[in-house]
This record gives sequence, C-alpha cells and structure tokens, in this order.
Amino acid sequence: MSNEAKLLQKYASEVFAGLVAPLEGMEISAAPAEDPLAAEDVLVRMHRELARALEKSPSERRWVMVIDLRRCIGCHACTVACVAENKLPPGVVYRPVMTEEIGTYPNVTMKFLPRPCMQCEHSPCTEVCPVNATYHNEEEIVVVDYEQCIGCRACMAACPYGARTFDFGYHYAEQLPMFDGAIVGGQTAAGYEHISQEYGQEWERKGRHESPVGNVRKCHFCLHRIKDGILPACTTTCIGRATYFGDANDPDSLVTELINKPNVIRLKEELGTEPRVYYIV
Amino acid sequence: MTPKQKKLSRRDFLKLSALTAGTAGLLGSLPGVMRQVQRVIAANTNPSFEAQPENQLYTVCLQCNTGCGIKVKILDGIAAKIDGNPYSPWTLWPHPAYETPVKEMATVEGALCPKGQAGIQTAYDPYRIVSVLKRKPGTKRGEGQWVTIPFEQAIEEIVEGGDLFGEGHVDGLRAVRALTDPEVAAEMATKIKGIWDEKDADRKRALIEAFKSEFRPYLDALIDPEHPDLGPKNNQFMFVWGRMKGGREDVVHRFVQEAYGSINMNGHTTICQGSLYFTGKQMSSKWNAAKGSFDSGDKFYWQADTGNSEFVIYAGTNLFDSNYGPPQRVPKATDAIVNGRKFAVVDPRLSKLAARAWKWVPIKPGTDAALALGMIRWMLENERYNKAYLSIANVAAQVAAGEPNYTNATWLVKISNGVPGKHLRASELGLISKQTVQRDNEAVEVYLGQDGTEYPGDTPVALVDGVPTPINVLNADAAPVVGDLLFSGRVGDFEVKTGLQILLESAQEHTLAEWAEIAGVSENDIIVLANEFTSHGRKAAVDIHRGSSQHTNGFYNNNAWYMVNLLIGNFDYKGGTIKASTYNRKGEKPGQPFPVMTMFGEHHFTAFGIDMLRTKTTYEKSTLFDGTYPTRRPWFPIATDIYQEDIPSIGDAYPYPIKILMTYMSSLPYSVPGGQKIIEILADTHKIPLFIASDIMISETSMYADYIFPDLTYLERWEFHGSHPSVPWKVENVRQPAISIPGWPTTEVWGEEIPLSFEAVLLAVAEKLELPGFGPDGFGEGTPYIRPEDFYLKQVADIAFGEKEDGSDSVPEADEEEVRIFLAARRHLPKSVFDPDKWKAAVGNDESLWRKVIFVLNRGGRYEAFEKGYKGAKVAHPYGRLINLYQEKTATTINTMTGSPFTGYTKYIPAGLSATGEPIPHPGYDLRLITYKTMTMAKARGISNYWTLAIVPEGYLLINSQDAARLGIQDGDTVRISSASNPDGAYDLQNGKKHPIEGKAKVSEAIRPGVVAFPLGFGHWASGSTDVEIDGRVVPGDPRRAVPLMANGAMQLDPVLGNTGLSDLAGGSAVFYDSMVKVEKV
Amino acid sequence: MLKKLAYAVGALALLFGLWGVYIRLFEGEQSANYGSYIGWGLWVAMYLFLAGLAAGAYMLAAFDYLFNVPQFKGTGKTMLWAALVTLPAGLASIGMDLGHMERIWKVYLQPSFTSFLTLMVWGYTLFLILILVSLYFAFTAPDKKAMKVVMWIGFVTAILVAGGVGFLLGGNGARLYWHVGLLPAQFPVFAVASGAALMLLLVGWFMPGLEEKQRHDLLWLLAIISIATSVVKLYFLAADYTQSLYGGATDNLIAVNYVLSGPHAFMFWGVQIVLGLLIPVIVLAQPKLAKNGTIAGLMGVFLLIGYAAARILIVVPGQVAEMMPGQAAAFYGPKLTLDYTPSLMEWSVTSAVLGFALLGILIGMDYLLAYFSRLTARLTEVKK
Ligand SMILES: Nc1nc2c(c(=O)[nH]1)N[C@H]1C(S)=C(S)[C@@H](COP(=O)(O)OP(=O)(O)OC[C@H]3O[C@@H](n4cnc5c(=O)[nH]c(N)nc54)[C@H](O)[C@@H]3O)O[C@H]1N2
Ligand SMILES: Nc1nc2c(c(=O)[nH]1)N[C@H]1C(S)=C(S)[C@@H](COP(=O)(O)OP(=O)(O)OC[C@H]3O[C@@H](n4cnc5c(=O)[nH]c(N)nc54)[C@H](O)[C@@H]3O)O[C@H]1N2
Ligand code: SF4
Ligand code: SF4
Ligand code: SF4
Ligand code: SF4
Ligand code: SF4
Ligand SMILES: [Mo]
Repeated sequence: MSNEAKLLQKYASEVFAGLVAPLEGMEISAAPAEDPLAAEDVLVRMHRELARALEKSPSERRWVMVIDLRRCIGCHACTVACVAENKLPPGVVYRPVMTEEIGTYPNVTMKFLPRPCMQCEHSPCTEVCPVNATYHNEEEIVVVDYEQCIGCRACMAACPYGARTFDFGYHYAEQLPMFDGAIVGGQTAAGYEHISQEYGQEWERKGRHESPVGNVRKCHFCLHRIKDGILPACTTTCIGRATYFGDANDPDSLVTELINKPNVIRLKEELGTEPRVYYIV
Repeated sequence: MTPKQKKLSRRDFLKLSALTAGTAGLLGSLPGVMRQVQRVIAANTNPSFEAQPENQLYTVCLQCNTGCGIKVKILDGIAAKIDGNPYSPWTLWPHPAYETPVKEMATVEGALCPKGQAGIQTAYDPYRIVSVLKRKPGTKRGEGQWVTIPFEQAIEEIVEGGDLFGEGHVDGLRAVRALTDPEVAAEMATKIKGIWDEKDADRKRALIEAFKSEFRPYLDALIDPEHPDLGPKNNQFMFVWGRMKGGREDVVHRFVQEAYGSINMNGHTTICQGSLYFTGKQMSSKWNAAKGSFDSGDKFYWQADTGNSEFVIYAGTNLFDSNYGPPQRVPKATDAIVNGRKFAVVDPRLSKLAARAWKWVPIKPGTDAALALGMIRWMLENERYNKAYLSIANVAAQVAAGEPNYTNATWLVKISNGVPGKHLRASELGLISKQTVQRDNEAVEVYLGQDGTEYPGDTPVALVDGVPTPINVLNADAAPVVGDLLFSGRVGDFEVKTGLQILLESAQEHTLAEWAEIAGVSENDIIVLANEFTSHGRKAAVDIHRGSSQHTNGFYNNNAWYMVNLLIGNFDYKGGTIKASTYNRKGEKPGQPFPVMTMFGEHHFTAFGIDMLRTKTTYEKSTLFDGTYPTRRPWFPIATDIYQEDIPSIGDAYPYPIKILMTYMSSLPYSVPGGQKIIEILADTHKIPLFIASDIMISETSMYADYIFPDLTYLERWEFHGSHPSVPWKVENVRQPAISIPGWPTTEVWGEEIPLSFEAVLLAVAEKLELPGFGPDGFGEGTPYIRPEDFYLKQVADIAFGEKEDGSDSVPEADEEEVRIFLAARRHLPKSVFDPDKWKAAVGNDESLWRKVIFVLNRGGRYEAFEKGYKGAKVAHPYGRLINLYQEKTATTINTMTGSPFTGYTKYIPAGLSATGEPIPHPGYDLRLITYKTMTMAKARGISNYWTLAIVPEGYLLINSQDAARLGIQDGDTVRISSASNPDGAYDLQNGKKHPIEGKAKVSEAIRPGVVAFPLGFGHWASGSTDVEIDGRVVPGDPRRAVPLMANGAMQLDPVLGNTGLSDLAGGSAVFYDSMVKVEKV
Repeated sequence: MLKKLAYAVGALALLFGLWGVYIRLFEGEQSANYGSYIGWGLWVAMYLFLAGLAAGAYMLAAFDYLFNVPQFKGTGKTMLWAALVTLPAGLASIGMDLGHMERIWKVYLQPSFTSFLTLMVWGYTLFLILILVSLYFAFTAPDKKAMKVVMWIGFVTAILVAGGVGFLLGGNGARLYWHVGLLPAQFPVFAVASGAALMLLLVGWFMPGLEEKQRHDLLWLLAIISIATSVVKLYFLAADYTQSLYGGATDNLIAVNYVLSGPHAFMFWGVQIVLGLLIPVIVLAQPKLAKNGTIAGLMGVFLLIGYAAARILIVVPGQVAEMMPGQAAAFYGPKLTLDYTPSLMEWSVTSAVLGFALLGILIGMDYLLAYFSRLTARLTEVKK
C-alpha cells in the first residue's frame, strides 16, 4: 500500500468529512496540529479568521497582535511594509525592530524586538490629548484624527513605548533634482509618496502644512486593510511568520490559541497600560 | 532508519490537507475559505483600491535574485504597494491551489522581504535615465559629462561607427560583424571543430592550411587567419551581463550568437556562486554508455529542503539575510526553531541565521573542506554512512533498491604515481571486449562480456565481493551491480582504489584534531556536527552557498560538503538535498506550441571560435597551444561566465582584442573584487574602442560607457525568473510589465511603437543590420519578431501548455471573469506596452492558447500544486541519475596555469593561493576580509531604495572587539582598509578621482577575531551618489547614496595576473573571502 | 542708559526673531531641531519658563495687594503688567510649537478634560483673564474688597497653573526623569523664584518711581527671597539627582548623566549652577551689593537665565532615554535622534518671544501704566 493510501486509511474520517462538507464556507483541515503551519500557511488561516471576525459587529471583536520572538529574524520586512503601506515619510516609523547583540565571542547571539503600537487598553497617549484627536475607535484601536490633531506632541511624550512619531513634512524622493528629458526626476518619481489610504481616506500630503504633516502618527493596526478583509501589512509580510493578528474574542482563532499559553508576555506590564500586543518568548 | 510517525504529524497533515484540497479542486471550487472572505468584501460598500483584483497585477520581484512572486497594487497607474503573490510558493507555505480564481485572491497576500516591499523605489528612482546618453565628445570616459541624443541617432552611431567623439574613427557594429554569411559560418565552425579534435600537431597544421585555402575569400573576416579558431571578427563584439534571467537571456542568445554571430556573451555566474554551479556540473557529468566516457554535466547545484529537514548545516549560507531567499526559506527555518527541527551554522560571522541556530561554528574562512573532511572521516570511521545506498553502482541496482539515484563510490579508479586518474574500464581487464556482431543484416560494434552479455560500450568496473565486475551503468534491465565500497590494491595490472576509498584516504590525511586546528574549530565541534547529522536518516542536509564557494579552493569546499550529504544518501529525498524544477520555457518539449529557440527561419548564424574567457574549448585543443604552461591567463575548461575575467582579458587582449563591449545590468567595477583594475581598462578607449551600456542609471559601470541606453526596470518588463534548488515544485515565474513610468519615451522599430528598453536596442540594431531571426519573418516565414512580447508571450504559451505532448498538462483557460480582470488590471498600461490584439497575435491568435496565457499571466507564473512536490519520502522531480563521488572528468582536465590536471576528488587545499598555486605574501596585513549581504540591501542596485536605507543607512566594517582593542579602534570610528595590492586603500576612478575604501567600524562580538566583514550595497561613487553633467546642466548627487563602505577594491589581486582578483581556477569563482587587509583609524 | 540698552536689545531680539517666525510659519517645522524622540525642546521650555514667570510675577504682585508687605508697596501694577506680558509670550512660544496652530481653537471648543494640556490652556486663559481683571481693579480700585477677592483667586490660580505645568511633565508615567512626585510642587517655587528675579531686574534697573529707601529695602528682600528659593531649588535638584543616581533606574541614569556629563553639561554647570545660582547667591548675600540697583538687576538677569536653563534641563533630558532601548538604531531618518541642540530658527523664534516680552514690559512701565493711571484717574473723575 502506498504511503498516501495508508494515510487515507488512517484518517479516513477526516478526509470523508472534507469531501462531504458543503463548499460554502468549507474549511480545509480546520483543526490545526500543534504547529500552526501544519495545514495551511498561517497567513491563510488568519485571513480566513479575519473574514469571520468581520461578520461580527465592531464592538464584539477584540483585535490583538501576537509576535513570536523566537521566530523573528530581525528582517525589518514589517517595518518597511508598514512604511510602504502607509507611505510614511522620512522620520516617521510605526513599527521599528530593535536589534540587540548579547554576549561575548563566541557565546554571542542577537535579539530582535518588533514594536508596533501596543494599542493599549489604558493608553496614556489618549488621555493627554487636549482635543480628543487620538482615541479608541469603536474597535478599540487607538487612532489619530489627523484633521483634529493640533500637533502638540503630548501623546508622543506620554507613550511609554515610543510608538509615536511626528510628521515634519519630509519626502523621500521629492526633493531630488528634476531634469525633464534626461532623468525621471524627483517630482515625477515621487508620485507614489502621495498615495496613502490610512484610515480609509486619501492623504495626498502635499505642501508643508497639509495633514498629516504637522501631526503625530502611529500604527493603527492597518484598519483600512482590515475593513477590506486584508491582514495588516506587517503581518502578511512577516517572512519569519512571527507576527499574528486576529480577534481575541474568537475562541477558535490563532491569536486566542497563542495568547493563552504561559510563554506569553507584554511589554512594560508594570505601567498598567494593558497592551493588546503580546509577545511569545 | 525510517522514523515511525505515531501522532498526526505535521507531515501527515500536509498530505491530508493536500488530498482534501485536491478533492475540492476536482469539484470546481478551491479554497472554499476564500468564499467567506468574498462575502465580507461584498458587504463592504467601499473597498479601497487595494482590495480589488482590477487594481492588482502579478509579476516577479527582482530586487534580489530570489524572484519572489509579487502582487503590484496600482492606483491611477502608479504602483502604490507591492505584496507577495499568494499563488507563489515563494511567499506562502504551503501555497494555495493554483486554480483559485484571481478574484478570490484579491485580499490574500504572501510575505516579502523588505527589499521586495521597497521595489517601488527602484522603478520610481529620480535618477533613472530617460534618454540615451552619449559621452560628451571631447571629454574622457568617466569624467561624468553627457549629452542626450535621440535613440535613432544613437543606434545609427553604434551601428555605423565613425569619428564619434572627435578621437578618431571607431568601428561600429556593422564593421565588426565582418562575417555575414551564415552558411560560410556554419562550414567554418565545422572545420574548426575538426581542427580542435585533431591531436597530432602536424596534421593540425595541415588542417589549418586547408582551412585557409578553402575560405580564402573570407579570411579578412577572421580575427587571425593563422589562428582561425579565434573565430570571425564578429567575436570582437562582446556582450557581458550582470543579472539576467530567462527570456531576455534567450533573446540575447538569439541576438549575439545566432544573429550577430559573436561567440562572446557571458554572464556573472562566477562572482555570484560560480564554483557551486560548477561543482554541480562536475558531480553531474553524465556517463555516456556508448562512448564509454563522461559527457558534460549540468550547470546547476543542490540545496537543502529547508522545510522538511530535521537537521541542516548551513555552511556559508546566509539564509536570514540573503540567499534564495528570505520569503521562501525563512518561514521553513523559523518553523524548525519552534518545532524541534534543528540547524547549525558554519560561518566566521554570527549571521542572523547563526543567532537563531542550535549551534554556531565560527570557522576560519577558507577552511570549509577541512571541517567537512573531519566530519567525513568521523562518519566513515564510525560507520555512520549509508552503505547500502553508496554500494549501488548502476541504474539497475538503483531501481532494484528503489533509490532515486546512485553514485560511483564503488567504481574503481586507477592510481598512477599515487594520483587518482581515470576509472578502470572493463576492457582493460579483459572483462569485456569489442566485437562486431551482425544485427538486422548490419555489422555493429558492441562490447561483449565473457558470458556473452552485451554492453553498449566500454564500462567501468566495481568489485563485487572482491570480484571485478563490469558495470552496465545506464541500462535498467542489465545486471544490478552492488559493489564493494572500500578497496585499495591491485586488480590485474592496475593499482586501483574505489572512489570511496579515495575519499576516506583524503579524509585521513589529518586527524580530527588536526582538521579542527586547520578550521579553527574544536574537535568536539566536528564530532557533534557529524553525530547530529547522522542521526536523522536522510532528513539531514548540508546547505552551502557563497561562503564556502567564493574561495580559491571553493570548488573543493563545495565538493567536500556535498560529500557529507552523499554519505547519508540524502539527494532527492524529502528533507535532504534537492534541485530546482521549471516548466520548459523554450518550447523544447514535444507538443509545446512555440519552440522559440529554433523558430528562426533559414539564416540562423553559427557563432564559433575561442571565446574571450577560454571556456568553450580547451587550451590543448586550440591552435594557441604550444605545449607550454602557464598560459598568459588561465583557461577555464570546467567553468563558464567568468565575470572577473571579462574586462581583464580585454585589457590583456587575450586571446584577442575586443572592439565593442556591451554591458547589461552589470556593476563590474563595483561588484567584482579588485574592481579598480576593471575601471582602468574600461576607461581606456584603446583597449575598448566602443563601449555601450544598457542601464537604468549612470552607474559604476555605465559611467565609463560611451553610450548608455535606458532600460525598463523589473516592474516594467518581461522575464522568466525560474526557480531555485530549495524549491521542490515545478514552477516558472513570469515577470511582466506591471507599470509604465509616466511619460516614458518610446521609439519606432519595425514600424512598431515600443518603449525605450533593452529590447528596443536589440530590435533596432537588428533592423538596421538586417539580422536574421528578427523582423517580420523573425520566427520564420510570416511569424514576426518585431515587438518584445512577440518572443516572451510565446514562451508564456509554452509554459501554459506544459510538458505533456497531448496537452494534458496545460493550465485551464481563463474564463470571462478572468479575462475581464486581466484587461482591467492593465488599463493603465500604454498601447506601446499593452495592446491585447498584438499580444494575442503573438501567440498566433489561438483563442484557447491565449486564454491559457491569460490564466498564467493572471497568476504571475505557473506553480505546481503543493501536494505534487513530493512522492512519499522523495521529491517528485528528482535529479535522478549518477552522482559523481569521484570526478573522472575533473581529474583529466588540465589546469593551464600549472600544466597538471585538477584533482578529481574531495581534497583540502589551502585557500588564498595565486593562479599558479603559490601562497601570497601579505606582510603587515593581518586581518582577513570577508563580505556578506544584509537583508535590506540588494547588490549595487539597492542604493536607490530610501525605505530600506532608513533601516541600514550605511555599510560598516564589522570587527571583533579583541581586534578593535588591539588596533585602538572604537565603535563608530572611521577606518581605512588597505591591502598588499591596494596599499592606498582607495579606488582609482581615473581622471584624477579617488574613492576611499573607508567606513565606520562596528565593534562587535558577532565575528571571529582576526576576521573583518563588510556588507554589500554601500560605498557607491556613481548611481546617483555624485554629481554628473548632462547637456551642460549639473545633476547633483544625493548624499544619502554616497554613504560608505565598499571594500571589494581592497581585495587581493592575483600576483601572477596583476589586473584581476583571485580566482578558483577549477570552479571559476571570483574570490571574496581570502584577502588579508590592514584596518587603520583615519 | 541701561534702559536704552534694554530697549535696543529688545528691539534687536524682536527683529532677529521675525526671521525665525517667518520660517516657522511659512516653511514649517523642518528647520527646528526637536524631533520625534525629543519632541519638546526650547519652545516648550520657554513656555514653562515664561508661564512660570507670569505666575511668579502675579504672586509678587500679591505681596503688594494681598499681603501688603510695605517694601512692595506700589510695585503691584508693574508686576501685574509683567505677568500680563510674559503669559502671552509663553503662550506664543508653545503656539509656535504646535504642528497645527491654526487649530488651537479646538482646545477651547472641542476640549478633552482628561488632558492636562487642556487644563493648562484653560487654566492659563482663566489666569490671563484674572490678570486683566486684577489690573483693572488695580487701576480703578473701586473697592478694596473686590480687589482682594480677585487677587486671592488669582494667587491660588497662579500656584495651580504653575504646579500644573509641573504635572504636565510629571504626569508622564513612562518618563522617569519627569515622573517625580514633587515636580508639581517644585514648579510654584520656581515661579516665585523667577518672579523675584524678574523683580530684581525691574526694580534694580528700571523702576523710577521708588524712593531710595524702599528700593534698597525691596532689593534686599528680593535678594533674600532669591537666595532662599535658590537654596530650596538646589535642594530639590540635589535630592532628585542623587535619588536618581542611587535608584539606578536606567532611564533616570541616562537623563541625569545627560545633564551632568552629556554634550550640554555646560548648560547645567556653567549656566544653571554657576551663572544662574552660585554667582547671584554669593553676590546677593552681600547687603551692599544687593542694594546696588545695577548689580541687583544684573543678578536678576543671571537668575532668569539660570531659571530658563533649568527649564530646558528639565524638559529635554526627560526625553533622551529611549522608550524602547535600541529604537534610535532601528530606524534612521531626520529628527530621529537622541540629542538636541536648538536650531538657529528655534533660537530666533525664542528671541522674538523674549524680545516681545522685554519690550512689552518696558513699554508698559514707561508709557502704558502711566497712561492707564491717567486714563483711570480721569475716568474716576468723570464718574464723580
Ligand atoms: N539581501 C540580499 N539578498 C540576496 C542578495 C542580495 O544582494 N541582498 N543577492 C542574492 C544573490 S545574487 C545571491 S548569490 C545570494 C547569496 O546568498 P548567500 O551566499 O547565502 O549569501 P551571502 O550574504 O553572500 O553570504 C555569504 C556568507 O558566507 C559567510 N562566509 C564568508 N567566508 C566564509 C567561509 O570561509 N566559510 C563559511 N562557511 N562561510 C563564510 C559570510 O559571513 C556570509 O554569511 O543571495 C541572494 N539574496
Ligand atoms: N562585497 C561583495 N561583493 C559582491 C557580493 C557580496 O556579497 N559582497 N556578491 C556578489 C554577487 S552574489 C553578485 S550576484 C554580484 C552582482 O553584481 P552584478 O551582476 O555586477 O550586478 P548588480 O550589482 O546587481 O548591478 C547591476 C547594475 O545594473 C544596473 N541595473 C539595475 N537594474 C537594471 C535593469 O533593470 N536593467 C538594466 N539594464 N540595468 C539595471 C544598475 O546600474 C546596477 O548597478 O555582486 C557580487 N559582489
Ligand atoms: S503604545 Fe503608545 S501610542 Fe500605542 S496605545 Fe499605547 S500609549 Fe498609545
Ligand atoms: S499631537 Fe495631536 S494627537 Fe497627540 S496629543 Fe497633541 S493633539 Fe492629540
Ligand atoms: S499594523 Fe499596519 S500600521 Fe501597524 S505596524 Fe503593522 S503595518 Fe504598520
Ligand atoms: S517581518 Fe517578522 S521576522 Fe521580520 S522583523 Fe518583522 S516580525 Fe521579525
Ligand atoms: S527575497 Fe529578493 S526577490 Fe524576494 S522579495 Fe526579497 S528582494 Fe524580492
Ligand atoms: Mo549572486
């Protein structure tokens, strides 16, 4: 008997279930083995779970992010994906990855720590905002209303995680020389810098004063993507498969599974901020 | 040895899901899970552009050479975001079903590395040139003064030549193409082959004379009639490329060799991982049963099956920063970290991979073979190797044992003066003899054994229980031969050893302690590695890359590591050592619609002659052979595409001078060790009278060109990216135009409007010179090759058709919805790029084929189903034939710098030797310089990606704290790197300009003391980093691109050759890790 | 002579400042050196300084109107005026610091009261109104009782807003260097101290109306106040720093080391301690010198410089410790640095603010107060 045949026999019931399950909403091997990657890429699983969560009302879901530090390789794909997704200008970053070298040769290693916004439940940043420009939206994501923000940077000072940076109005390519007919030139090249869909809105960000220039900016769990059923940019691009995103109110979701394990921590717990970003160590 | 699975293991699960997915596929709906997503999105009244398939185009990344599938999201014609193509096995693991409708994939995306994410900035680089630039007449090469000229004028000038720069007459492409008659060329080529094959000197002389008289009217067209085998003057046009992939490569082949008629087209393999390819080539050289000798092997290599190995040793493989490549291999490796599979890293530097490894072995650079031989010794002496597998001596035994391949470990090798040479042939022992037999009334020559068994030719011999036995190697129905593995002694008149015996003795040249000492590791390291390696059946593998390869002894390092693999017999096994598989893009399989390589019409030109790199024939066969060694420059009988030799050979006019050089996507002075010598030659108009470059900017190479033709970036063009050895599935990645830069110039060629591009140059030259293989009948009567996609779409059609003659392997036809999405997603492309009618015409207006093409293009390539990658414990697409544990072909190949043959078995040879094999003195230069890639930088071309520069803004010199303390260097100090061959520590850019080899030191614990390392990608002196003048106007450089450090210029030059860095003469590699340098604070 | 000099300095400062204001308003904040890690710089420090000064000036005015300290008699109006000028100057400084100052109205119309910034803006606005009312009463003096009530309210408000500013920083739980329980308590003391220093300057150099005796006595009293507050301040500082160094919390160590031995250590040792504290204390401790108007005024200037420096050395070091270690090396870009030196543009704007304050005070003392007195006198006459 071939290996496949043996396997079939061994798990006949599962396969049978797979065959008879109605196609609508069918899930391929819904029960993951001990390794979340076993049956499908976790990205696909999370994508499916995201769709499930979106069927609920916003207040019923609880978005969390889980970062497995054992799997993070410090590649910064997440950092750059976030920059690219949100067209973050020079000096603005939502998700840096800290690298630390530990030990003495030859007993030496490196540690990597990606840091999105913690989306704190008790968020010091929102409390200090004088004009309610930064607040918890109906899904409890901490957002910044660029049109409301006066740019006082109090939230930046208050965030214990350094998760906020200020938009000083820089561009990566725009200032570079123009020379029609010889080179592409700064302004032509920089078209992409003006495409940002943050918060589901278009931000051309032209000029020296147009929001989000002059505002404090931060990670928003890519809610403009989530609403369309796309996982956050840092999550889909995580080549280490170290970043997980989902609804912690869904008992069957990957993130729920992960945060209910003992090897989970949150940063600066002592401050009582109650982050929604968990780390597996 | 086979581990029993008790629980529902991960592996079983994969199969299970694959089965289920397969079934679902049959029922016509693929991941039903996507459906749910679609519902949600349908409910979303205002989905952003990102979520809509009409704004997404699938193509292939080329930020590095990994070639990950990408999904380009387009808004108002601008590439707004790049994400992973969810169909691609590079970005999702497992990858979803290929048949999943594109619409359902609109919100699914796979993972990409940071460079892939930043690709937008490669396409939209302000410094990209949009016009042909001509060196300003009256200024020198490299002075940085340009004039823009119309494309048509540029083509006219390079084709017709003339006094182009006020420096006197320059031959154009027309003049250099002296031989234009394809028939004469073909005849000459045949005759030249005859001359080469003639061993007798006098008769050779006579053949030359005969040649001269036969082709008297054409002798003018030859480079040197006295040496007709140098070929026609056409060969004085040389085409050199850096990064080039399928498609363009096929077109270049057509253009340079078959249309223009030059033999000289060379890639960059040897600065990449050359020796790895050529180790693969020698290990795969094929037994030719009829001839009784070996034919050439394949230029390829193997890698570990990252996702299924229980234990991998990564030796000089930088998996978490580079390699082929992060999105594809990293998730499999990080899965190992959390799921109890293990890996070890052998690297002088603590790479990120090493930082996550079960064990890091900081080896002394250049000594990989010592470590591997230590392991081999331990494995052999402790009987921790797969005897049953290695004993298999032929296909028949292989089939009987159910193995996917076999080796020549048991084949006897003749030893003369202690040196292993050729395999013993059965006829030499009289075991078989040549006889003439009647067959179908015809006399045929066969070899017959003593018992009357027939052999197709002379055959090797193995001892079977001590009895010499002829091996019918390839015939599956012949007698299986399972030979004795270890033997040393006399058989008949011959002193012989088995291949394995030779390996054992080589491994026994030193004790474990001595091997450890050489490699700078501990004896325990060797034992621990070997023990672990041999504790996982065939699910262990050594994975090697540049770190073991780019040394003067690279060929042997690679070979040593491959031997470690071979001893456990893991080739073609799941979790073992595997190879790449691609759908045929050349239409070479029966039934494929377009055999593009041979669709040529009648006038196909045969390029012939000795190539500039001396790789296509041997010195001994050539008419240049005068019995003396060393040759002026080395010949490379094993390797090809010796990038580091291109320009220095031109410099020495050896074997002949070059008149026109064209470079493509290449950064020679920057990427090659000792690049300053390359600059010297590039800048010299006597050595290279005409220098044309295809580039996207004024780069380190094209800054020395006479003409720079702007090219399209990877986001705007066609190419077939192929696969990599660690990918088990059969695939082909299709790169296609995803965007067009606003206002991108076009030109008219053959009456067609096409974008300014590399293709435009070739097509326009072909039009002007009326080259065969191009134009209205380019693919034969009535089949035009007048637009770029005329070629590429045929290739897509071949891929879509698949490899079964009856078409049963072809992809489905795109349905109406997919056709709609296909058209909508390209609505932003100008007609010059995308005209559906013209595209369809390119595949012969065959509706069904066209729809299949659309199906492939909608997915950015073709990817075999996940479950088809493996068959049981083996890969589905095995290498599947003889693996040479002993390399007869290598052992019989002469090294022209020493006059002796290369060694045909795994041997430790110290690194860092000169071309003639001598140690190189380096007094006062006490640190070993190595280099590596960092995740955020790709090659010379990463510098325009400001997003990734925000992560690592400059390259620093990694130095161990012990060395730093000794030298009084502190973290952040600026240091200069110099060497015996570059004591000033600077590049001479010519015209009085210097570029210092300086950068900041990073004092660290993460590197072996005595070794310093720098990352690739920084330290530019062109590519937008410095001011240039175009049409009298200064285009200021960007200081962000002028950051340090590039230290290839400090690498050791070969003292024998003088104008090039060190090379591995067997494997061809340029050497990046064997230079001794001095590091001084400035 | 000194006055002419002061006018000239004020005018030049304002002139130089206009350039910075122009850049700030029309070209944005790129030429400022504060950034995303050190987000609050010179302007915030000057806001703290000037707002504190306003509170301090008001409190000293209370010495005249509320506590009837004889030496202070007749100085109340000047000090109220000084408060009236320095407060808007401070608000201008913080206003320039806002990314979107055109939206400042939102703080009034769409405020969030969990924010201390809101409370401060509202508090200072209230305080500004109180100053105005106080000043009005001071001139009109319709009824002593009402004046007293207003002054009491103002006095308490001054303490609260001064303390509130301390809270603005101290309330950040994550910023250990600021998160000192006593910070809100320290600020009112600073306020009084800076008010006294300002008064030293004004009385010493400019106040013409005072007779010699009162002037000497007042200067001596102010000298004593200054010495006392300096000692208290020094004690706070020593307590804070030794506690930080002892406690060894990383962020605190980084901050305190930045102050004591960082790139701007001179600011602390040279400016804040020697110039702004030791010299004035030593000089003012000598009654003869303290009573010399010119010298006392000069010491007032020194003290003010010291207090301004002290504000910078509170604001900036609180931000030099990375919130996430390694953050600065994880992503590079403009304004992502852990060091801060104000840019020329920032100095220029501050120069405008200070020039405005100086000229405002001088013009007020020389012309407006007299004008108002005349005006109110006439008004009361008319009423009668
Ligand atoms: N980020 C990034 N990724 C890339 C590329 C890129 O440019 N940037 N380029 C792609 C290309 S073209 C290639 S060829 C691959 C290359 O892929 P790799 O060969 O895997 O990558 P390199 O970074 O060149 O790594 C060489 C490693 O060898 C180590 N090394 C040096 N000397 C020795 C030695 O003597 N022995 C051993 N065992 N190790 C040694 C170095 O420290 C380094 O870690 O990467 C591909 N991926
Ligand atoms: N120090 C050090 N040196 C190394 C290595 C290392 O690890 N360390 N790695 C080596 C390896 S593995 C490799 S593969 C080589 C690569 O070296 P090369 O093959 O020489 O290629 P690149 O560095 O990729 O440079 C390609 C150049 O082509 C131009 N270009 C970019 N895009 C396009 C395009 O779309 N069209 C055209 N026509 N031109 C384009 C740009 O000017 C760019 O500089 O470098 C080697 N050099
Ligand atoms: S991490 Fe910082 S910015 Fe994010 S919610 Fe928490 S306090 Fe606010
Ligand atoms: S910067 Fe904007 S969001 Fe932050 S506290 Fe100030 S107003 Fe609120
Ligand atoms: S969730 Fe989105 S915004 Fe937040 S770090 Fe990730 S990519 Fe950036
Ligand atoms: S993308 Fe994933 S693996 Fe890479 S740095 Fe971010 S979290 Fe780590
Ligand atoms: S690994 Fe290479 S090909 Fe893949 S996304 Fe990164 S840069 Fe592109
Ligand atoms: Mo490479």
